Amino acid sequence: MKNMHKLAAVAQIKWLCISRNTMIMMGPVMVIAMVEGCKILYGSKSGGGLAPYLTGFLLNLGLSMNICCEGFVMVGTTIAEEKEKHTLRVLMTSSVTGVQYFIGTIIFPFLMLMAVNYIVLLIIGIPFEMIPALPFFLVSVTASLTSCVLGMIVGICAKDQMNASLIVTPFMMIFMLVPVFGNLSEGLHKISGFLFTGVMTGMTECLANGEKYVMTSVDAAVLFGELIISILVFLVLYKRNGYEKD
Amino acid sequence: MEQNVLLSLSHISKRFKTELALRDISMTLSKGEILGFLGPSGSGKTTTIKIITGQLRQTTGEAKLLGTDSANIDASIYEKIGVVSDNSGIYEKMTVWQNLYLFARIWKVPRGRVEQVISQVGLAEHIKKPAGKLSKGQTQRLVLARAVLHKPRVLFLDEPTSGLDPSTAVAIHRMLLDLKEEGMAIFLTTHNMEEAAKLCDKVALLHEGEIVEFGPPQEICLKYNQIKKYHVLLNSNKDLVLEQNSENIGRIARWMEKDQIACIHSCEPTLETVFLEVTGKDLNI
Repeated sequence: MKNMHKLAAVAQIKWLCISRNTMIMMGPVMVIAMVEGCKILYGSKSGGGLAPYLTGFLLNLGLSMNICCEGFVMVGTTIAEEKEKHTLRVLMTSSVTGVQYFIGTIIFPFLMLMAVNYIVLLIIGIPFEMIPALPFFLVSVTASLTSCVLGMIVGICAKDQMNASLIVTPFMMIFMLVPVFGNLSEGLHKISGFLFTGVMTGMTECLANGEKYVMTSVDAAVLFGELIISILVFLVLYKRNGYEKD
Repeated sequence: MEQNVLLSLSHISKRFKTELALRDISMTLSKGEILGFLGPSGSGKTTTIKIITGQLRQTTGEAKLLGTDSANIDASIYEKIGVVSDNSGIYEKMTVWQNLYLFARIWKVPRGRVEQVISQVGLAEHIKKPAGKLSKGQTQRLVLARAVLHKPRVLFLDEPTSGLDPSTAVAIHRMLLDLKEEGMAIFLTTHNMEEAAKLCDKVALLHEGEIVEFGPPQEICLKYNQIKKYHVLLNSNKDLVLEQNSENIGRIARWMEKDQIACIHSCEPTLETVFLEVTGKDLNI
């Protein structure tokens, strides 16, 4: 890539913004702490080990929270913060292109999402030989990417950080709560199957039950379809006003 | 001369829904020139900068920046221009050094240049300080430093000294004159008439989106110097402003003969009074 230095500079700027924002950095820490805490709590009550349904629930909760909290919030809020502080305009008038800003913005949140997904697996204690390496990686990459693109959409629509928090709420309700509580209701479970986070939790339930996960064509269609749709929505919004409306 | 023109606006108009924000704006800016765009808040100064720099599309007319139509500007043009907007746009949690160094990376500017600019703007003692902890004057100097880091050919400044103390404003003026000497073209918006008269080679007086006067500040002032006046301070502490007519010339001559005049000088109109005369409005409103 011709202008790699610009991409690297934008990514560094975004990393410094993220790492110095306590509220954002609390997201992954909370996910890890909550999963570890619940595991200890439930484990001590059931005499050490976790029942498969609890393992599944904790995995669902951890991964859904990770994908939603970090992806939507980390990406969306930092863009909103840049709008609020007028640094986005400075970046866009310093020869950084829309594509460079896009990649630079999502690269660190994406890597953090991926890392925390694996950390959650480790904490829950699923043996690595049980994890289907390629499908897990594929699902994890696609879901994390979709979440980051949805975060970009939140950022493009938000005027400031407060507004971003408001916009992100319905996204969280749908993509986080529906899969997490899918086991409690047949209806929610069905809806969950059509969400990219639902596909991810479906896979983790198999892992928790000690079953082999096989990606179905519906799972693949949901995962890639939602990624493509979110990219298209982002492009439509970007074409209309850029990252910031005048 | 033509090849030195870095920016040209030709019959630019901008309409926001029902409001006409800019009306038939035409002007040029050449290498090593400072052009002042003067007008009260809401007169269309920032809109003009946004149109020239491709952040906003004009309704009619043509704007050319470094030979490129502003409607077709791509990111690469920003490597040749510097923009200081009315909002500082600094990363408050990053240090002064980081704020400059990261932009230096974007423009591929060597570290040495960053150090040079930091000392030029007098922020060498503050390089490790978070930018959010700088005073307003220091912040403005940081913003200016960032804008000139890559030695742009054209620099856009939107109210660069607004709200600053006089000594910081003077320091910024000095820096702008140095940049002009280096051949940089500067497009400056302000509502400070003194600043414009001191710095600018040409000024455009903007009123409700329309240029009502354009030219060198002195020429504009002299154009409106139809009724010549003299300010006379007599030894008796009597302070008088006299219009130039045969009667007053006789009075002044008599005072001079009797050595009664402590101080006398002509009263040419300032840009401020010209603006008031042309538009009937005060610039600071």
